[in-house]
Amino acid sequence: MSARVAVLIFPGTNSEDETLRLLRDVGVDAELVHWSRGESLPGYDAYVLPGGFAYEDRIRAGAIPAHDRMMDHVIVGAQRGKLVLGICNGAQILLEAGLVPGIGPVRKPTAAFTHNAQRHFVCEHVRVKLAIDPARSPFTAALPNEALIPAWAAHGQGRLAADVDHLREISEGGHVAFVYANADGTTDGATPNGSALDCAGLINREGNVLAIMPHPERDAWNFNHPATREGSDILAPSGGAALFASIAAALGV
Amino acid sequence: MAKINLRPDEVARIADRLGREPSTVELHAFDAQWSEHCSYKSSRHFLKKLPTTGDDVVVGVGQDAGIVHLGVHAGERYGIVVAHESHNHPSQVVPFEGAATGVGGIVRDVLCMGAQVIGIADALRFGNVSDPASHQRSVACGVVDGVGAYGNAIGVPNIAGDLYFHAGFDDNCLVNVIALGIVKERDIIHSRAPQDSAGWDIVLVGKATDPSGFGGASFSSVTLEADDAQANKGAVQVPDPFLKNVIMRASYRVFDYLRERNIVAGFKDLGAGGIMGCSAEICAAGGFGAILDLDDVNVAVDGMPPEVIAVGETQERLMWVLPPDATADVLRIYNQEFTLPEIAYNARAVVIGAVANDKRYVLRHGNDIVMDVDIDFLTGSIRDDLPFTARGGAGGSTSALRAYAHHDIARDVGFSIDGEPHYKSYDTAVRGRTVLGRGVALAGVLAPIPGSKLGVAIAVAGDPYVGERDAYAAGEYAVREAVRRVISVGARPIALTDCLNFGNPNDPDQLGDLVAAIDGLAAAATELGLPFVSGNVSLYNAAGSGAIPASPIVACIGVIDDLSDVIVPAAS
Repeated sequence: MSARVAVLIFPGTNSEDETLRLLRDVGVDAELVHWSRGESLPGYDAYVLPGGFAYEDRIRAGAIPAHDRMMDHVIVGAQRGKLVLGICNGAQILLEAGLVPGIGPVRKPTAAFTHNAQRHFVCEHVRVKLAIDPARSPFTAALPNEALIPAWAAHGQGRLAADVDHLREISEGGHVAFVYANADGTTDGATPNGSALDCAGLINREGNVLAIMPHPERDAWNFNHPATREGSDILAPSGGAALFASIAAALGV
Repeated sequence: MAKINLRPDEVARIADRLGREPSTVELHAFDAQWSEHCSYKSSRHFLKKLPTTGDDVVVGVGQDAGIVHLGVHAGERYGIVVAHESHNHPSQVVPFEGAATGVGGIVRDVLCMGAQVIGIADALRFGNVSDPASHQRSVACGVVDGVGAYGNAIGVPNIAGDLYFHAGFDDNCLVNVIALGIVKERDIIHSRAPQDSAGWDIVLVGKATDPSGFGGASFSSVTLEADDAQANKGAVQVPDPFLKNVIMRASYRVFDYLRERNIVAGFKDLGAGGIMGCSAEICAAGGFGAILDLDDVNVAVDGMPPEVIAVGETQERLMWVLPPDATADVLRIYNQEFTLPEIAYNARAVVIGAVANDKRYVLRHGNDIVMDVDIDFLTGSIRDDLPFTARGGAGGSTSALRAYAHHDIARDVGFSIDGEPHYKSYDTAVRGRTVLGRGVALAGVLAPIPGSKLGVAIAVAGDPYVGERDAYAAGEYAVREAVRRVISVGARPIALTDCLNFGNPNDPDQLGDLVAAIDGLAAAATELGLPFVSGNVSLYNAAGSGAIPASPIVACIGVIDDLSDVIVPAAS
């Protein structure tokens, strides 16, 4: 039997629809778990935190939801080795929960995805490049070296920020799982928000918690990119679905 | 305190009908219902010229949104829900909040048809913004921020729009917003008390009623005057997209609950006229009356006068008419499952009254009856026959259209903020159903039904540089250009919406422009065989420097039967 995945909905989450649909389209047994039903979370094998504006981004994006009761279960699960993926606002929540880069105690964030260099929301089509050895994490094990994955950056707070020493620790510890990249794989000028280390995604030391800012699940079917579709079926998963397919493989699908 | 804009002859007509002097609450109620914003009293008779019927029309003009047939998927007929409105005066006075509540209002119009909201488009008209320190530029930036902030937070992609600058909008910007939804045609919910619903519960859902937005409908129906600036600001509502995000998802759950049990209910957006306007219209539309107790309304502050509770336009509210045996479950979904009272102060779903068998509209407050009128008199159509100047018809149009040919708009060109197009602050891909988002082509395209190859396209058009020359040509142009844009992505046009942004109808020349533009819209739409399924009239867009350029703004909806055939423009 394959793993059961919970897609968490906090008040203000807005990307549950495409996240759930893509998980199911790549064969994952996933369902939505709503904030008033959080007590069911220990029964799931993996957690996905989708994008949105949980608790209205009050204080900082991710700060309040990191203390939601649902996160008690996610933190325990992550510590026991369950896979946890956060996308966009979900990624911000995982940083605020201290699960990535995961170097300090939980709920004592050491770094943040914070206000873009532009100081406003930016919606831009981007590519992210795998910046770690694929074998380092179950999330990426099925991806080729330096895999390029299309995604939508859509955030007001997506710039990685931390003090210089901690950034070095993040970099040298292999925590930068994805960087922004151009179509040819270079990174010059590709970062849409001024993120430190060109960082688009962070992973913990154990490799079971991944926080990624852009949304691969919004460029994940042929109809999302009709000019560059793969194969003839306009409804087939493609593009950003590669990351989710890798996740499905990690879950034994 | 908001002032009453009813004319003396209108007050006399009310007193005559009631057989007594109207109460304060009644005066404010009629002030809202008989405003141009609600009643279309000086424009409705001209709008009859627009074609509104066709084989694809599922729900035509007259409800909160129109619905056109999209196609069949897995044996189910699906409809596209579309609504189009302006939020011009609020955006001029308080740009961020005005534009954000414009998006919030149009989204509710689509939601209350029982639909999932799937897309937004915006058409913006600003004054000269070249001076970075100008008020015009701060209005433009505030509006763009407001449109983006609201749509982004609720998770609905902005997929189409246009933008013009013209000195004629220096004192009166235009903010037109369009929302799209998807619904199975057998699941459509109507904005009326259902058959045999006397005694059913009237349930208010959403934000606690507060003093914001008092006098909003009436304020939209007069010209902006600088010395009223403070009162005007009070008439603008306060947006809460965070709460709306939760209300939308809770309402989707309620839709599922009602469908599983084959329960027919009524659902309507609270807009102009607040609780009074919504409850009166939803009950009158079913042929009923209503009795409401204002003491049962969830309020944000104590001691508000009854007219403010009844008519104020607090945002993020909707109203259900429910059979009593379903009420407890619906309240539980909103209040417990989706925890509305924890999302915003005193937000909730609450029973505030009942559908009445007689056709009286009655409001109670404390021990008093503060309103008791014939519901059809309150909501029925009124008409002002104002004089207008006849404009040149079709003959005058060609020169203006030729002038337009000098414009070279290859695609959706944005307004530069920090060197980037304005729409880059709009989320265009949330929900994962975007095929062509903002800035890609002249029309936006969505894949509205998971698992189906059906696509829907939308484009907007309307050129103030044509409008300032010839209102008729502007109407004709807006229809033809919106249609062309939809065709340019490979879609088959099936329906139109319009928002008619014009000046003061009491000026015969300005009313003449409105009449001429409607003639132009009607001529082009009739020739192309396309119906209008939703629309809005925004008059009194005239401040200081005179009337705005005639601004009929049109959206065209198109269908792509197989998204494999969508036409993508070559990259620039």
